[in-house]
Amino acid sequence: MIFNSLTFLVFFAFVLALHTAPFFSWHQKKINLLLASYIFYAAWNPPFVALLWISTVVDWWAAQWMVRARRERTRKIWMLTSVIVNLGMLGYFKYGGFLLDNFVSMAGSIGIIYQPPKWDIVLPVGISFYTFATLSYTLDVYLRRSKPAGSFLNYALFVTFFPHLVAGPIMRPTELVPQFEEPRKAKANQMFFGFALLTLGLFQKVVLADGFLAPVVEKVYDQHDKVPGMLDSWAATLAFAGQIFCDFAGYSTSAIGVALCLGFAMPDNFRFPYGAVGFSDFWRRWHITLSSWLRDYLYIPLGGNRHGPARTYAALMGTMLLGGLWHGANWTFVVWGGLHGLYLSVERWLRARFKGFTPGRATMVGLALLTFLLINVTWVFFRAKTFAGAGVILTGMAGMAEKPEPLIAGGPMIVALAIVTAIFGTHLAMRNTTLEAVIERTPVLVVASAWTLMAFAVLIEQGQGNAFIYFAF
Amino acid sequence: MRGLREGALRPGLRLTAANRPGQAQPVPTRDIPALPWMRMGIIVFLLLVLLLAAWEWQMRRLNLHAGDLGDSPQAWAEQRRLADTNPVTIIGDSRILFDTDLDRFEALTGVRPIQASIVGTTARAILMNFANDPEFHGLLILGLAETSYYRPSGVGIGKPYMDNLSKNEKPSQVSGLLLDRYLQRHVAFLDPEYRLSRMVNELDRGIRSGVDGPYDDVWKISETFDDRQYFMWDRINRDRHLRMHARWAWGEFKGKPIPPTVIAKVNARSAEAVRRIRARGGDVIFIRPPSSPELRVNEEARVPKATGWERLLVAANAKGIHADDLDRAQKLILPEWSHLTRKCAAVFTDAYVRRLVELTPRLQLRANAPAPLSRTDCVAQRNASR
Repeated sequence: MIFNSLTFLVFFAFVLALHTAPFFSWHQKKINLLLASYIFYAAWNPPFVALLWISTVVDWWAAQWMVRARRERTRKIWMLTSVIVNLGMLGYFKYGGFLLDNFVSMAGSIGIIYQPPKWDIVLPVGISFYTFATLSYTLDVYLRRSKPAGSFLNYALFVTFFPHLVAGPIMRPTELVPQFEEPRKAKANQMFFGFALLTLGLFQKVVLADGFLAPVVEKVYDQHDKVPGMLDSWAATLAFAGQIFCDFAGYSTSAIGVALCLGFAMPDNFRFPYGAVGFSDFWRRWHITLSSWLRDYLYIPLGGNRHGPARTYAALMGTMLLGGLWHGANWTFVVWGGLHGLYLSVERWLRARFKGFTPGRATMVGLALLTFLLINVTWVFFRAKTFAGAGVILTGMAGMAEKPEPLIAGGPMIVALAIVTAIFGTHLAMRNTTLEAVIERTPVLVVASAWTLMAFAVLIEQGQGNAFIYFAF
Repeated sequence: MRGLREGALRPGLRLTAANRPGQAQPVPTRDIPALPWMRMGIIVFLLLVLLLAAWEWQMRRLNLHAGDLGDSPQAWAEQRRLADTNPVTIIGDSRILFDTDLDRFEALTGVRPIQASIVGTTARAILMNFANDPEFHGLLILGLAETSYYRPSGVGIGKPYMDNLSKNEKPSQVSGLLLDRYLQRHVAFLDPEYRLSRMVNELDRGIRSGVDGPYDDVWKISETFDDRQYFMWDRINRDRHLRMHARWAWGEFKGKPIPPTVIAKVNARSAEAVRRIRARGGDVIFIRPPSSPELRVNEEARVPKATGWERLLVAANAKGIHADDLDRAQKLILPEWSHLTRKCAAVFTDAYVRRLVELTPRLQLRANAPAPLSRTDCVAQRNASR
């Protein structure tokens, strides 16, 4: 189920009631949360709960045997078992069709005609997220960064805890398992702040992303008969920048709020990313839990920046290309990751070349704007389904489209651009602070009014039960 | 409790995994701004109730009604499953959907048909969906509008309905449908056509020339009740602006004539689909609901009755009921030119069902069937609809 659904509201009310009920022991409450998390996941596709179980059991035992192993080789075998099982399932369900298509194309290019049966496998929701979460458990144990969880229940709940299960934030066991070791119940202030965060997340998703931004994006990206001009291409791409942020950050904010209502702390996943100055800054602010996961378990093991510039650039590029592929089984995502890798490499080179350069305030704003615009170029590959589609949009953005036609109506375009401008301005203004710090400085009346209006807007926008974009990853 | 902190941390103190490379991440910190959240929450809740009550009042003033359940892919999936065990199913585009009164149909025959038509969707695609279903053995009543039925490509709005049938029956989808229906029976404002973004967009009456804007899209013209019973929204009869809006959106059904080769191909494929349904013990009867003279002239120009409708019946060796041939259903009220008013839908249904029972042994007129309806049963609305 998704946060922006009536089913979730009913489900969450039950879970909250069970969790705050005085007559359950902490052990029983954890079992309740575990069962609720399975129900949450099974509401999409009950059979796929089996995948969660496989992942949970394999990694639990892999970590247990790793600790008991006396030889380094045995530890490695158990670590590799966990990696192979997890990435194997991810590969089969997410990349099977992609690999097969590419194999057929390659065979065709050398004259071998091969027509396999259609790869008709349904992608289990959130498999990329929980695979990475559970992998970090065995990898941390293998790297001796942490000890295995003390109880199977705590570990199973870490994997399946419903607020982060299907679209993150991608949590590490050391962030969540210790929270299950002590009884937790939100105080009134925490619970109501959790509700406020849930409202903010739903406002971003239901009102901004789905209500006002997505239709503008679709007008350009999902039509194939007409050629968009410069204005339409830029408007749709900027709208997508707003949509993907509001969609994904909206989910993360909702998840953090839901967990807070239950008395649990979850990490930030976004820190005003469009206020970033440079791309390394952007990746410290955008999908933080994924970028730090890739850094810790891919970039650093690949050598990181410890083996000279050439190896560093190769590790950076490799990490971003695989990071792109993590988002979807399509070469367009690989190019998206590759562009970010290129940006990061160029930035790294420039930083070394202009060491000691300290930009003034105006330069900072200019660089932030440049960063934002260049990120928009990458979003074209993220949103377009094909390279041909991306080419049409990029040609339009460059003002080189032949016989362009207007596609986006004036009203929706004005509203979408106003929202994106507001997002960019807010991110720029708040890049050095936190939402909590700003709220604390704001008069109660203003906060309460904003909360009311956001909740009201969510209810009258109604929402169409659209899934979050990242559910598909 | 670890991780939760009363009072906001000063900027720069709340670290993230981005600040801690290559190490086990500790329990994150969530700081709670020092504000009276509980008191604020209660006030927000009370204000929200007041605002929603005012909004509900305003929506009812706009003639939205509690009990208008709306439609969805999940609701269609529910009916589609029932079609496999029901003796009669109606498929088609919005015309047969609006123009069939299920209660009247049931009163006349004792059979309540499944309504599996979809707005903005070619009936041809739905026919294929049933032809490919080995479980379907019933009578299919196919209502068509030629420009939609013979469209050279594309399925229309209903494509995800049919492609994602099993996806739309997942537990979360079914529970969502039931909860949504429960709420819609009690409140009027939960109408997707009157959601915030749609209303804001409707303020654009053509700011940017040369673009298909919100005014060019069909806005709310229907109400939907149990069993996907669609009826023309009564406000369309009374509100000139909305009526003109809808007529404008139809664009008088103008367009290039559909090539005869396309028409012939569609007829051939339809015939094949009908043959397959019959081979399993089912049957198909075609119906052509009425459209206003303003549209009809353009429809005829694009798909002439002689090459479309008449050849379709010949090719499929099927029986058909054309609105032109129903004496009791002439000159009915079509406020926005394409669909009948609720009362006229009952008249049209009455007329076509009485003909239907003569064409198929699968349906009989009940002994205590109500007396026939005629144009005078709905014509009183006529003046209001001009």
